[in-house]
Parts: sequence; structure tokens; C-alpha cells
Amino acid sequence: MIVRLRDLALLLAGYGMIAPAGAQPWEFNAPIEVTSVHGEGIFHHLESAGRRNIAVAGETVAISWEDNRQDGPAIYLSRKRLDADSFGSAVRLSETDEAYEPSLAAVGPDRFAVAWEEAGRVRLRLVDQGKPGPVLSLPDRQAGQASLAAGDGDAVWLIYTAADNGTRHRRVYLRRIRLDKGEPAAGEACAVDPEPLEQAQLYPTVVKLPDRSVAAWEDRRHGHTIIMAAENREPGSCRFAKPQRISEPPPGPRPPYGKGHGVTRVALAAYGQQRILAAWADKRDFREGYDIYASHYPGEDDALFGPNEKVQDPFGGVAQQWHPAVTGHPDGQRVTAWDDDRDDQTNILLSWHEAGQWSDDLPVPGASGAPEQNHPSIVLDADGNLHLAWVERQKTGGATRLRYLFGERTSDATR
Amino acid sequence: MLRYLLVLSMALVFQPAQADAPEGYPFLSFDEAMQQAREQDKTLFVYFGRYGCGYCEKTNKEAFSDETVRQVYTDNYVLAYVDSESGKRLQLPSGERITEQEVGTRYDAFVTPVFTFMTPEGEPLKRLVGVQRIEDLLDADEKVQSQIGGQS
Repeated sequence: MIVRLRDLALLLAGYGMIAPAGAQPWEFNAPIEVTSVHGEGIFHHLESAGRRNIAVAGETVAISWEDNRQDGPAIYLSRKRLDADSFGSAVRLSETDEAYEPSLAAVGPDRFAVAWEEAGRVRLRLVDQGKPGPVLSLPDRQAGQASLAAGDGDAVWLIYTAADNGTRHRRVYLRRIRLDKGEPAAGEACAVDPEPLEQAQLYPTVVKLPDRSVAAWEDRRHGHTIIMAAENREPGSCRFAKPQRISEPPPGPRPPYGKGHGVTRVALAAYGQQRILAAWADKRDFREGYDIYASHYPGEDDALFGPNEKVQDPFGGVAQQWHPAVTGHPDGQRVTAWDDDRDDQTNILLSWHEAGQWSDDLPVPGASGAPEQNHPSIVLDADGNLHLAWVERQKTGGATRLRYLFGERTSDATR
Repeated sequence: MLRYLLVLSMALVFQPAQADAPEGYPFLSFDEAMQQAREQDKTLFVYFGRYGCGYCEKTNKEAFSDETVRQVYTDNYVLAYVDSESGKRLQLPSGERITEQEVGTRYDAFVTPVFTFMTPEGEPLKRLVGVQRIEDLLDADEKVQSQIGGQS
């Protein structure tokens, strides 16, 4: 007899063996398509560093992605007024070369910045009321893995990796991009960790708080991948404090082989007052594959981030979790989304903080069940409504569709 | 031969930034291996590892170092190595652009190492999870060869 994990969870909940979920904070609409261009041979990707592919600017939600509708991979953006039933036509943002991994930030009412990789450079473009502005191309060589954070209105913060001078590794750089001069202008490139590189720094992301910026990235300096973070408390300077490790090693003696366990793809989101959530996929329990772990900024004493927490509930233990995305709200709400195969199919799951802990996992209605759903990107708007974009396929390896779902806030669950 | 030397030299140059594939084997990237497997009508042997993977290192030292294993696997298969945490981009025969990490996700490489025998079209034939001994690899080869022979 095959017992599906969700059924088992319900059974155990019925016997009081696990705590039932609190009030669900959102009521979800039916999913809609982000773009009508799909079909055989077309593959959409939502895979930016930090997973920031969706943003809300005033009364407009926008999604940016890469697909190959015009043969080569190119970057597109589509917008929708919050009260509209459908997205408008996609606007192509990249130029003539192959382009990848767009990251999106809201910078004013119906005004968005998008950064991506094209021809080995990071490029950025503003889209104001649907009209793309001039393209800014950064000078860094072999650059990519861009992630954007909204700044103070006149600027966005662009973090990315580029070839390190003197080594063949990628190094993380952060630039302030001014937006107040009619076209974007790049500030100085700041290395978030200026020490000589021993190994690669990869897939960075950043949060800009009023008086500081905090960056996190994958780091291979210890012979395996760990998550590192660094903060800059001197606006206008390139001085970052010495980076700290966020992802903790598993307890117990170090195994005789290898350097350590694997982690991948950190995501960051600001919430509350001067607080940040970091989440990533973590294989510290090597028998169960990647699990979703999180940590909160600031930590105690001199620690940049606090102790690691497992986000998913116990029923995710024997399944695989991938692609964590996070979002937060000034009222303290924070949410993690990921894709999860615990029910023998790949679904989008959510967990949010309530009463000081992560909620039971919620398979998102409209983004769970057949067919296959993965690669979520999420954002909370000013009213606490949840916006979700993801990639859907009818069969593994088959053509993809881009989907969007709106969750209207329904409660004031304890944060 | 030239292609093999090119791949080997590339592997040597870039090796420290990748997970560890066993030395002395002509491992290709997944998309190159699929293409070669199709051209030669051979079975794929895909090694899913990751940077710093302890049980990959153990299997490399204790099983892939064996000369018989080396000979059998080099002769019978097109070899692919996938770093399950890498964002390296690949192009599949379907036209799909995919990263090595996503190849690992698709083939359920939730632990490392995972070894998957595949048809040239990427259909899994047999899968080995975790540390493998010399006899495990030789036994798996026999079973896969028998399976292929039975199908032809």
C-alpha cells in the first residue's frame, strides 16, 4: 500500500501528533499565465541569483524571465496592474547576444530595474511604465549571477560575480546604480570580501537597509560550498566587515572523506525593522538530500546571523527540496517558498513565520498537484498580499509555461 | 583523441573550481556526452557529484582507481560528470538550456555520489546511490550490459 505523505500528515494531525497549521494568511486566486508565448521547444527560466524575478511597484506587478522564443535565450518582462485579469505583452530587454538570469527590483510606481548577464557582461535597464530605457553595461569581465535590491529611490544595489584579477575564480562585487540622471549610472565596484581569493564566490544576493547593506553568497573557500555573509555599515564607502559563515556545519565528528556538506543558492529578504531572512538549500543530513534552512539577521553579540533553523516541516524529511525564495514585510511577516517532491510530484510549498516558528508547509493551491511546478519567486506587496511566479511543465523535460498567482492577505497571524 | 586531450586539459585547468571526478577517465559534460552517446550508440554513465563531496572522494580512491574498472567503464560507456551544485549551462538535444544543478534535480541526485546508466536519449537504465566498491561497479556493468544485450 502506498501512503502519500500528505495523507500521513493529515492522519497524524488528526491524532494530535503534529500541530495543525494556524490560519492561512492568504486566500489564493486561480493561477494565470504570465506570457502566452509557449509551446514545443520553448523553455522559460526563473533562476536569478537570489530568486528575485517578481516585484510589485505601486499598483503594478512585474515578472522578468529568460526564454528562447526567438531562438537564443533572451530577457523579457511582463507587467500587470494589480486589479487587471491578465499580463500585458512581454517586452524584450536584452539585446542581440545570449542573455541569462534576470533579476528584478521595484524602484517607484510602475518603475522597475532589471539586471541580467549578456555576452559575459552584466547589463541593467529601467522599465518605466512599460517603456525600456537605455542599457547600462558594466565593464567587468566574465560577469554574471546578478541580483538587484531596491535602494533609496534614487538608486538600486546590484551585486554580481566577475572574474577576479589575479585568479581564475569568480569574486562578488557590489555597485550602487544611480537612477536620478535620466539613465542609470554605475558607481564604484566594491568587493564584499577584499581578501585574496582561494576559491570561487558564487550566486550572491544583497539587502539594502536604511543605514547598511548585507550581502550573502555561496563560498568555496573551505573546499566545499558554504553560505557566507558580510555587511557594510558605512554608506558611501566600499568597506565591508570581515565576512562570516551563515550555514552551520552538522554536529558530530567530521567525516574522514571530503571537506564538508553541500549547500546551494542563498536568498535574502528584509522584514520588520532592520531584520533580514536568509534561506538556502542545505544537505547537512546527507541521507535526505537538500532541506530548506534559514537564519535571521542580526544574530546575537557579534554574529551577523543567528542560529540555523529548518524551515520545512518534518514531512519534508524524506523528500527533496530545491530553489528556496524568500520575501518579507515591514510588519514582520516573512515567507519562504520552494519546490518539493514529497508527494511524488513537484509542487510549490510555502512556510511563514507565526508565533515565533515556521508554519506547517502549505502546498500552494494552483501551484501543486499535477503537472510539475518548480522555480518559485515570491514577493509581499505593501498590503501583505503574496505574489508568486513559477515554472510549470506537463512532463519532465517538456515545454514550460510561466504562471502567476495572487494571494490576498486574510489574517494578522502572529509574526 | 584530440578531443579527449582537449577535454582532459580543460579538466586539469579548471578542476579546482569543479567537484571531483576520478582521474584518468575521459569524463565529458552531460550535453557533450549525450551527443557522443547518440553518435556512437553507446550507453551513458553519468556521475553526479559535487564540490567537496566526501563519498565521491572515497569511491574515487577505492573503486575508480582500479584498472579493471577503468578499462570496463572507458570501453563500455560514454562518461559524463555533473556537478550537482554547479550553474554551468548545458544545451540538451531537445533544445532545452539547463544547468548542471538542474540536471541533478531532474535525475534526483539528492545525495552524492549518484551514478546513473542511461540510454543515449537520457532514459535511466540503472542507478547506484552512495559509495561504491570495485565489485559494485563491475557487477552493475555486467547487469547493464546484460540488459542492453537483452534489448538488442
